[in-house]
Amino acid sequence: MDTRHSRRTILKGAGVSTAALTAFSFAGRPTWVRAQDAGFDYAAAAEPYQGVTIGAPFLDRPGYRAAQAMLPEFQEITGITVNVEIMPYENSREKQVLDFTGGTGFYDIVLVDVVWIGEFAASQWITPLSTFTDNPALADPALNLDGFFPILLESFGTWDKVVYGLPFDNYSGLMYYNRAMLADAGFDAPPNTWQDLKDVYGPALTSGDQVAYALQSRRGETQSADSFMRMVWAFGGSLLNPDTFEPNLSSPESMAGLQFRQDLMAIMPPDVVEWDHDETVQGLAQGRVGVINEWSGFYETLANPETSTIAEDLGIGIEPEGPGGRQPALGGFSLAVNSQSPEEKQAAAWLFIQWVTSEAKATEYIEQGGVSGRTSPYEDSALRERFPFFEPLVESWNEYGNPVFRPRFPEWPQMSEIIAQYGSEMQLGSSSVEDGVRVIEEALMPLLEPYISGERPRLQ
Amino acid sequence: MSEAHRDPTPAADLTLARPAWRWRRPRVDRTPVLMIAPAVIVLVLIGVYPLFYALRTSFQLYQVTKPYLGTPWVGFANYATALQDPLFWSSLSRTGLFFLLTVPVQIVLGVAVALLLTSTRWRRLSGITRVLLVLPIATTPTVVGLIGRLVYNRDFGLFNWALGLIGIPPVNWLGDSSAAMATIALTDTWQWLPFVALVAMSGLTSVSPDIIEASRLETNRALEIFWYVQLPYLLPGLTAVLIIRTADILKLFDMIFVLTRGGPGVATDLVSVYVQRVGFRVFDMGLASAQAILLLVLCNVLAQTYIRLFYREIEA
Repeated sequence: MDTRHSRRTILKGAGVSTAALTAFSFAGRPTWVRAQDAGFDYAAAAEPYQGVTIGAPFLDRPGYRAAQAMLPEFQEITGITVNVEIMPYENSREKQVLDFTGGTGFYDIVLVDVVWIGEFAASQWITPLSTFTDNPALADPALNLDGFFPILLESFGTWDKVVYGLPFDNYSGLMYYNRAMLADAGFDAPPNTWQDLKDVYGPALTSGDQVAYALQSRRGETQSADSFMRMVWAFGGSLLNPDTFEPNLSSPESMAGLQFRQDLMAIMPPDVVEWDHDETVQGLAQGRVGVINEWSGFYETLANPETSTIAEDLGIGIEPEGPGGRQPALGGFSLAVNSQSPEEKQAAAWLFIQWVTSEAKATEYIEQGGVSGRTSPYEDSALRERFPFFEPLVESWNEYGNPVFRPRFPEWPQMSEIIAQYGSEMQLGSSSVEDGVRVIEEALMPLLEPYISGERPRLQ
Repeated sequence: MSEAHRDPTPAADLTLARPAWRWRRPRVDRTPVLMIAPAVIVLVLIGVYPLFYALRTSFQLYQVTKPYLGTPWVGFANYATALQDPLFWSSLSRTGLFFLLTVPVQIVLGVAVALLLTSTRWRRLSGITRVLLVLPIATTPTVVGLIGRLVYNRDFGLFNWALGLIGIPPVNWLGDSSAAMATIALTDTWQWLPFVALVAMSGLTSVSPDIIEASRLETNRALEIFWYVQLPYLLPGLTAVLIIRTADILKLFDMIFVLTRGGPGVATDLVSVYVQRVGFRVFDMGLASAQAILLLVLCNVLAQTYIRLFYREIEA
């Protein structure tokens, strides 16, 4: 532990120093300020595309509301109109895939979840960004792909070493807790390990209507990713053997994680299998739950006194440590360009993506309520003070982020359905962990067979 | 060539000899044709064309997210896969259970409500109640699902709050496998019982008061009057209700998806939710189309069966 801390401290110090040197190397001013000053001329770049209208699928989440608030400026500078369609996350893949395959051309900007990049790229529905970055008329010299957190650009935007999208609206799993509730139970700090959460904090915080913990487990991606995979990874397991791509859920580590999830039921709400993100956040916000692990994007809801009764007592930290280390969930999106859109719409879409994810606009994006994938704004001490979730977020991304928390290949959506179905049955106790894992592995085998046999490249 | 040209008889005689029954082209009033044409065109575009498209797709390998596989014809392979799929059968049997939990209850209670509202004692309330009955039917299933998530919430839901007032501990409406099926059945009944009641009311109001008066000379037992006099008038409407509700339950998706997403586990995974998942999560359109066509066939078979078993014309 001491070794890890000291190495982390050294790394952190080195990282901050390097960033500071880079940032202030030109006339003592940060690079993102220089980029803004040097000013890629968006108006000139967009001149051939004035009057072009592009479609963008957005979600009803803070990161998208932030981008919408910035839209008028982009439209005024470029003369490009961005038609935003707000849709629920649950429908967003379906709508986009039908748009690609039906050739309806609704969306020129593509919203790519971390687990869709393999599917979208392998099907050639999105355009490699080199198409635009190699074009001096469209590429901002200050684009600086290295300015994104490496794990975000790699996980959200890259497939088979080709960059397709720029990180946008990215999250890490964080631990949120009610400091007052913990203090009443005699704790002055949140649980450091999963075992402590269950054995020490669990009994002390669970009584009457109040429960110690809630792990969102509603059927769907919430069950398969937020609940099932979180426990598998934390205990040193994994979904796949990374070398052979055979299922690895029956390994002792994976089984231990899934069994632990069953044991956690004693300190969770009895209907937690029906809890999605909203219910979980509300559980904490209304003072009924002591600790949750949720996306960083929910900070605004929990810290706002209008939407949270514990805003003053909100505590934030990194996710607890398990035998497999700290394995915070990794989630979010990138923005890419629809390869089937006409050339002028592709160019217009690229200009918007480049602009909204730029270092120059990162601080404004954060101030409007978004979470930027750029490293630069997180070095701003004023912003760090204003947004206390920055520190655990950056630490999670830099030190604990797992790029294959969920495999990113095209089979994941189908695998996610299988895991969600049998995973929730396991959690309900209608199937044992052993039986559930056996059935899941049997159901996954036909999907993994092309990878195991080597027929398809083993990319995840 | 017309008869006139083949007949050598002089024209004057022809006029006299023209038979009275000679076929004439009927005069078509174009106005009604033009009036209904848009509806027919729309019906063909959004109803008939997709049906035939689905029928064609059901004979193809059509995996949308795997374009490299192409869309070759596979004969009845998708039907064979569907029929051998245990998840398809289990979701279908769950749908059957849902039907049994909802439709009989809706018919019995709907008829009871209709009898109450058409009885002389309740006539004053009838008008306003008819309007109120329309409200649940007019509510979209998605909104019903959203309302349900609030009403059935274990911690702050309306139902558990009401139960708490009389000292009953909270019920895990959506998080318990057996309770979840009962919960969606209850929600469906809330929404569709008024529809059955309205259909039954229209049947009951078609019974002449004279017939009821006459039957009272035979018996004073209300049940006998209902069974032998009023029920025959209700049967055509109730047969229609059965057909409509069967089709509706086989395609019931929005309310379930919003309320439970088929969970917890597979407790509320009705066949429509399963087919949607195959079609729009897995994107195996060939298999999903085959499943949908099988459900269409099932729906038609059931409709024919209802008509044979229950439908009776009332003789004036």
